[in-house]
Amino acid sequence: MIGTAKKPFDEILAALQGFQKIGMVGCDGCAKVCLTGGSDEVAALAQELKAQGKEIVFEASPERTCNMAKAKPILDPLKDQIQASDALLVLGCGGAVQITRYVTETLGLTLPVKTGLNSVGHMDTTVPGTVAVEQCQECGDCILNDTGGICPVTKCAKGLLNGPCGGSEDGKCEVDPARDCAWVLIYNRMVALGEVDTLKKFVGAKDYSKAAKPRTLYIKEGRVA
Amino acid sequence: MKLTQAFKNKEFVITSEVGPVKGCARNGHNAAFIAEAATIKSYVHAINVTDNQSAVMRLGSLAASVLLKHAGLEPIYQLTCRDRNRIALQSDLLSACTLGIDNVLCLTGDHLKLGDHPTGKGVFDIDSVQLLDIARGLNQGHDMMGNDLTAASDLALGAVVNPNFQPLDLQLLKMEKKIAAGAEFFQTQAVYDPKLFEAFVRKVEGFGVPIQFGLVLLKSPKMGKFMNEHVSGIKVPQALIDEMASVPEAGYKDKSLAIATRLLKEISPMVQGIHFMPLGWSDLVPQLAATAQDASR
Repeated sequence: MIGTAKKPFDEILAALQGFQKIGMVGCDGCAKVCLTGGSDEVAALAQELKAQGKEIVFEASPERTCNMAKAKPILDPLKDQIQASDALLVLGCGGAVQITRYVTETLGLTLPVKTGLNSVGHMDTTVPGTVAVEQCQECGDCILNDTGGICPVTKCAKGLLNGPCGGSEDGKCEVDPARDCAWVLIYNRMVALGEVDTLKKFVGAKDYSKAAKPRTLYIKEGRVA
Repeated sequence: MKLTQAFKNKEFVITSEVGPVKGCARNGHNAAFIAEAATIKSYVHAINVTDNQSAVMRLGSLAASVLLKHAGLEPIYQLTCRDRNRIALQSDLLSACTLGIDNVLCLTGDHLKLGDHPTGKGVFDIDSVQLLDIARGLNQGHDMMGNDLTAASDLALGAVVNPNFQPLDLQLLKMEKKIAAGAEFFQTQAVYDPKLFEAFVRKVEGFGVPIQFGLVLLKSPKMGKFMNEHVSGIKVPQALIDEMASVPEAGYKDKSLAIATRLLKEISPMVQGIHFMPLGWSDLVPQLAATAQDASR
């Protein structure tokens, strides 16, 4: 899941300054799970914007707005409403915003596409509706096989690959004492699994060319470039 | 002079530490840290120069190291992975050697969130184990990609270890990786509990690398409390804080000296040297260095 958090209302209003008629696009995928951009949140924000004098031209929430196969069948039939809008406001991740923009372009329309959310990471849903924790940096070179299924690239504040820094205390991170030290978690898990020797191996510098942005995934070939 | 040579000569190696100023020190102006280091020149083998310590932006540790060298002191150039990617780290190591630096201490670096630029982007492209491996490669005449250098560097490689860390075996696992990657000497994090330190020493006796006991001078009860609450990885026993608090403020320095003396008498026989972090009280270093030297024999 891509975690999202709401932008402050004032920031959204500032982004919509000068635009009267607003088309609203949510996402009934990840943003719905985060309670930031599902149909309900789109409707709620629409009311707030109306209270500020905006006109809401339409509300739509594709099942996954980042997915053309899901977004286009919902948005294409709304071409007239999109055209009648001064700007679109998307409540979805950065991918949803850019796919929405792309759909408008495929419709031959040029209008501002704004976002009402901040994307905050590739997250789990450990406690649905309550807490989501970042799990993955999409580094392109997964090492979970060697770290007991706990990602130090993500869960260690410094992304260390060869063990903990000296700042960990009582199993907690120097950056935030409320957070577990990833390396203590990894170590304890590897001890329990009987795989501590794996951690003794030198891990060389990470190949960040595999994370060089922007990446393209050629799905049929399984190739990343 | 390389610190490794002093260890080979079986000398009890004393180092201290200075933090560069937060400002420009052109032509030696505004360089009180150099003057502070100069006062203990004949009592120490070398002086660590911290690299934007605690993630607080300051004069660079390489420039400050060179200033120390020009002042006739032996710098230990601290290099962290926080602010530089692999190209910058390697380039800075070559620069250090080119400018006459003989010793480098390879560290991960405190996280940006702890310092005065918490909104910055931490680099951490390389970790401290990899940095040691890379630095050894430069000493052998090639960069980390295997490309030949026109001339190899010649740097003694130091590393750090935190005996306070729990579980200790995890910290030692990393220490062994550092040794395998090229670490030639270790300086420890500040430890105030001789028993804890002894347990650490017993575990690393067979590692075959010299270890310097790290001693941060306790300057006040408030500082002890502050370190416990805000400096992750250091534990000051409440008994020591209470001991500091048992004297009036004017007596803190004497009490600090007494506590440090006691620690050094117990711990010096266990190690190959001491690394002082005097935090401005460098004037205590000569007497403490002598105490440590005596106790080590």
